[in-house]
Amino acid sequence: MSRDPRILLGMILAPLIIFPLMGLMFSASTEAVQQSVKTMSVGIADFDHGSVAKNLTNFLQFYGNLSLQSITATNTKEIAALAQDSNVSAVIVIPEGFSKNITENLRGELQVYGIFRGGGMAGSVGFSVVQGLIDAFTENLTFQTVQQGFPENPEFVLSPINVAQGSVVQSNPVDVPPDALFSIVQSQLIGFPLAIFMLVILAMQLAATSVAAEKEEKTLETLMSLPLNRFTVLVGKLIGSTIIAAIGAVATILGVIYYMGSFTIAGPAQPSIDLAAIGLTPSALGYLILGISVFVSLLCALAVAIVVSVFADDVRGAQSLLGFVYTPLVLPIFVLMFADINTLPLGLRIVMFALPFTHPVLASQALMTGDYLLPALGIIYVVALTLVIMYLASRIFATEKILTMRISLGRKKAKTENA
Amino acid sequence: MTYALEVKDLVKVFGNIKALDKLTLRVAEGEIYGLIGPNGAGKTTSLRVFSTLILPTSGSVLVFDHDVVREPVEVRRLISYLPGEAGAYKNLSGLEYLQFMGYLSSEKEDNLAHIVEEAAKISGLGERLKDRVKTYSTGMKRRLLLARTLMNKPKLAVLDEPTSGLDVLHAYHVRGIIKQYAEERGVTVLLSSHNMLEVEHLCDRVGLINKGRLVAEGTPAELKTEHKAADLEEVFAEVAGLA
Repeated sequence: MSRDPRILLGMILAPLIIFPLMGLMFSASTEAVQQSVKTMSVGIADFDHGSVAKNLTNFLQFYGNLSLQSITATNTKEIAALAQDSNVSAVIVIPEGFSKNITENLRGELQVYGIFRGGGMAGSVGFSVVQGLIDAFTENLTFQTVQQGFPENPEFVLSPINVAQGSVVQSNPVDVPPDALFSIVQSQLIGFPLAIFMLVILAMQLAATSVAAEKEEKTLETLMSLPLNRFTVLVGKLIGSTIIAAIGAVATILGVIYYMGSFTIAGPAQPSIDLAAIGLTPSALGYLILGISVFVSLLCALAVAIVVSVFADDVRGAQSLLGFVYTPLVLPIFVLMFADINTLPLGLRIVMFALPFTHPVLASQALMTGDYLLPALGIIYVVALTLVIMYLASRIFATEKILTMRISLGRKKAKTENA
Repeated sequence: MTYALEVKDLVKVFGNIKALDKLTLRVAEGEIYGLIGPNGAGKTTSLRVFSTLILPTSGSVLVFDHDVVREPVEVRRLISYLPGEAGAYKNLSGLEYLQFMGYLSSEKEDNLAHIVEEAAKISGLGERLKDRVKTYSTGMKRRLLLARTLMNKPKLAVLDEPTSGLDVLHAYHVRGIIKQYAEERGVTVLLSSHNMLEVEHLCDRVGLINKGRLVAEGTPAELKTEHKAADLEEVFAEVAGLA
């Protein structure tokens, strides 16, 4: 199996190359956007020429580091035409009376136009940068205005109530905003099931392929006629698939880590939270339970894949049949990413508990909560389920069904016995 | 007396098709027995039952006194089966294929290196054994598979159309291997074939099968004399009611 170039290329090399390549392209385009922001040009149509307008343009130029291009026109249509033909990312129109209004404590109006040149990211980023700078200028203006009226304590007027955010973790109060905590925990909760999902899909494909390929390449009859216990053949297929799937999963995860790493270049800096200090460190027992849970669920999926592949004539048929099996097996991974199992309706909860892949996801959540009873029960259930499926698989392997069972997909084929 | 193969009233039904209909035959130890018949006569089905791949609907099959239904693993230790449409793992080299199959089919006390060396000799593929199986021609693949079948010195070699699809030279080589191997090692060989002339030259005894039943049996000479025929083709045409 390991000599099959499809496995080496598809399962191991492809994720190692494709994900970093995607990451590289993403970071290259992100850098291009950042570069375009750095050298961004903004058009200014100043009909006001007052002091506040001058302050604003200075602020944009020196604080915002923008290159400003003065646009001289008589109306909006002309401004638009000139802006579209130039290289500016946005245009700020300062109407006449803007400065006068503000100095007389009346609201000043500004018009900001983003220039649409197709769907590139740079366009919207450019507009956001201008909007952000104008917001900062406005905030500054507000502070100065409030300071004139309340010179002793302008902060109080702007924000009379300050909220100190905290969270309760395992019955202890901690000074970490819940948003930050949830976003960190959530990223782990999503990342882990995704890794399991990839591992499962890979392993099932391998197991099904390894049986179906024996049929397709006409090696199964020879294998079945050897003086081997059929159960040994079954276990051999399971072990081989598990090992290659594990290597494939490591390759995938390494690729994904690189890919995800490329996003942080453009993203905001994550607040650093020491999970250990607030009691959210997974215990060794938690990792052990998680590991066992993943392993038994994987074996269960492999056994299912092998049973399914017995019904196929060739590799393509096995892949098609597997398509039907993926959904119920991986459904829990996606449902539990977004929903708490205890909040689901009873019927759906029962279905979820019955599906083997609910349990490793619950085990990964238990890493944070420290409640291992449910994952431990889950392991017992999945082991029992796997044994039942393995028994079924070994029954099929022990009889002639492995050679004679077929489900034809698409066009119907008459069963022929080559006599 | 112990027979290499003793088949009694063997019936195999697939859905509403009766592939074997009370087939009865015996193969003595050390002989080359040819099962001949047209397409759909039941040759492959019977060989698959003898090799424990499929179960009989009724009747009994004993291989050296071991029942194929009750003692399949024991039977598999005694036989070696070459399927009619067999393939080999195409991403392995011929030598690796022999090593892998030798490892799977040999007992702990067997000398694997010696077995593989023997198989390499039987195949006659020489240096080409180092190449991947996917680069082999049909004839080379068949020789490799035949070497795999014989490598463990089975007591009964079951060969389903061993020369089917081969050109004259490869077919000649394969027939030579079977004949030589059976004579030198005293291995019992049961083979099926469409090719009556091949069987006539290779087999000690021949069974003619038609519609799942054995319709005639004997040495090629006996059959020709009995049916006053020039060759086995004529015998078969007469027995099958085609003449």
